[in-house]
Amino acid sequence: MSRAVSLRVGWMGVGLLLLVSAVVLSLAVGSRAIAPSVVWDALVHGGGSDDAQVVRSLRVPRTVIGVLVGVALAVAGTVLQGITRNPIAEPGILGISQGASLGVVCAIAFLGVHSLTGYVWYAFAGAGVAAVCIYAVAGSGRGGATPVKLALAGAAMNAFIASLISAILTTDARALDEFRFWDVGSISGRDASIAGQVWPFLLVGLLLVLGMARGLDALALGDDIARGLGRNVALLRATGALGATVLTGAAVAAAGPIAFTGLAVPHIARALVGPQHRWLLPMAALLGPVMLLLADVLGRVVVRPSEVPVAVMTALAGVPFLVVLVRRKKAVAVA
Amino acid sequence: MTSVPQRAPLRPAGQFVLRAGRGSSFLLHRRAMTVAGALAVLLVGAVVVSLCVGEAYVSPGEVVRVLLGLPSPDELVVGTLRLPRMVTGLLVGAAFGVSGALIQTVARNPLASPDVIGVTHGAGAATVAAMTFGVTSYAVLPYVSVAGGLLAALLVYLLAWRGGLAASRFVLIGIGVSVALGSLTRLFVTKGDYLVAQQAKTWLTGSLNGRGYDQAAPLATVLLLMLPFLVWAAWAQRGSAFDEDTATALGVRLGRTRLGLSVVGVVLASVATGAAGPVDFVALLAPQTARRLTRTPHVPLVCSALMGALIVVVADVLARRLLSPLELPVGVFTALVGAPYLMWLIVRTRSSRTGGTA
Repeated sequence: MSRAVSLRVGWMGVGLLLLVSAVVLSLAVGSRAIAPSVVWDALVHGGGSDDAQVVRSLRVPRTVIGVLVGVALAVAGTVLQGITRNPIAEPGILGISQGASLGVVCAIAFLGVHSLTGYVWYAFAGAGVAAVCIYAVAGSGRGGATPVKLALAGAAMNAFIASLISAILTTDARALDEFRFWDVGSISGRDASIAGQVWPFLLVGLLLVLGMARGLDALALGDDIARGLGRNVALLRATGALGATVLTGAAVAAAGPIAFTGLAVPHIARALVGPQHRWLLPMAALLGPVMLLLADVLGRVVVRPSEVPVAVMTALAGVPFLVVLVRRKKAVAVA
Repeated sequence: MTSVPQRAPLRPAGQFVLRAGRGSSFLLHRRAMTVAGALAVLLVGAVVVSLCVGEAYVSPGEVVRVLLGLPSPDELVVGTLRLPRMVTGLLVGAAFGVSGALIQTVARNPLASPDVIGVTHGAGAATVAAMTFGVTSYAVLPYVSVAGGLLAALLVYLLAWRGGLAASRFVLIGIGVSVALGSLTRLFVTKGDYLVAQQAKTWLTGSLNGRGYDQAAPLATVLLLMLPFLVWAAWAQRGSAFDEDTATALGVRLGRTRLGLSVVGVVLASVATGAAGPVDFVALLAPQTARRLTRTPHVPLVCSALMGALIVVVADVLARRLLSPLELPVGVFTALVGAPYLMWLIVRTRSSRTGGTA
């Protein structure tokens, strides 16, 4: 193994360690603090104590969903940054998550769909339509999809969809009741079965994306060089967008729109293991859940006894990151 | 229109000069005045409609009677229930319109509306925070929202400053700060007790529901106090709409002018947000549509104010009546119209760096 490779493997090990610690924290910390040994006991031996009940029925589902959603959003962000060659691309900023939410709202309000496996398809459709619109808006006109145009188009899309959602919810009290669940992205109070329903979709999304890791590396060199290397640029973009849409749609269906996880994580991962996607994607998949779980744990602690939804925490943590990125990157400043 | 008088070669076409004593003069744009007149007529119409429609229809004749203070059976519905709300909407729209016009002029970029650069979210976060901590007095809240708006604008400015203020960096950081402040607002909503949270939530979508003179009074006061500044601004913005070199050559002190204009713009947007919540996109939409109608080289202030008021009053009528008996927040309507407009603006903006005032 060359030095560079062993360094990358080392960072992957660190990422795995971080993930395990985050999972333990997520299982142990809450309005009731439970010692890790008791957590372990509850997981392995079961038991009927209050602590064991809390761990198994509340914290395990929450943590599992946190891991799944974290993986999905971080990988989706990495892919979006790859196919747009744009450092601030991310499902939340681009309005793709919000589009998925709109799909879920429509499914609940107009079509009477009430199960996750039912409306996950509408989430995909909403995410896909939003993604296409954003790219059409940002990519047209002179200069193509610059970071500013992408961010502004995303902000406009977010505002537009948010008002559509609130218009629909105002007219339908039952949908409102069901949808409050997704209103602000959160992984608390989710049914254990949600994790079981959502993972196949994540798997499909991940396979789509992982299959094109080398293609993403080629895209990073520019469209012309990628073409010269024999890559079908349009097909790569379409596959990547499809993968990111499936991942985002599944994440939103499970936990609601959670922004900024997909923004920060790819940059951190890139700093650790470099720009090659066959390293970058797995690293992002490790760090995504770490960020999401830590944000969730923090959200349980800061305003005890109530909780802050994880989406609020990731936004508060992610925005300073965006600011640093915008200030540092020459590409963003002059785009 | 009328031909330009031959003996006044320095006077731009389509304009005439209003002189108020020695040394102070105004160039008035004829087309802008026509547009302003038309907007004012439309606004009066919208106001009457707004007072007529609602759960119970009131005829325009009765509305006029109430407005004139004559005895009328609809005194309660029109005078007590609808009028305060309509007045608030009118003032909020005018304030957002002027604010957007000023800030777009300073930034020389149509995308730099108070919504985009964090002002409304700052004012919103500060107001909700104050509500959560038990401040409910309308004597205090306007100051809180102005402070929040100014702080947010200052924060965006400081974060975006890097040996200069590139428009793209400014806009990106503005969006980021807006998102953070939006999250902070939600955090306060989570922390507050249930009733406050409900109240804050409705308010956050930009609603005129239950708004009245309590909210309108501070706004009216600020607008009145700002009037001299606005007159000055109307004069100063001509200079600051030029690029640096031209302006300096014309003797306009750009730094101070721009600072003054932005502060006035930020204060107006903040107070308006304090009164009705962040009514999205009015500050973006009003100056741009006004400018297209007047075809002036700069963003017209009076027309922007009228246009802003018109947009909010009309949007509120639609929000109240379209899905009746259900009522939507007015901000929903302005966003449904404003967001596609912003996208259209993005598509046709030539280059995101210069932006241009177009």
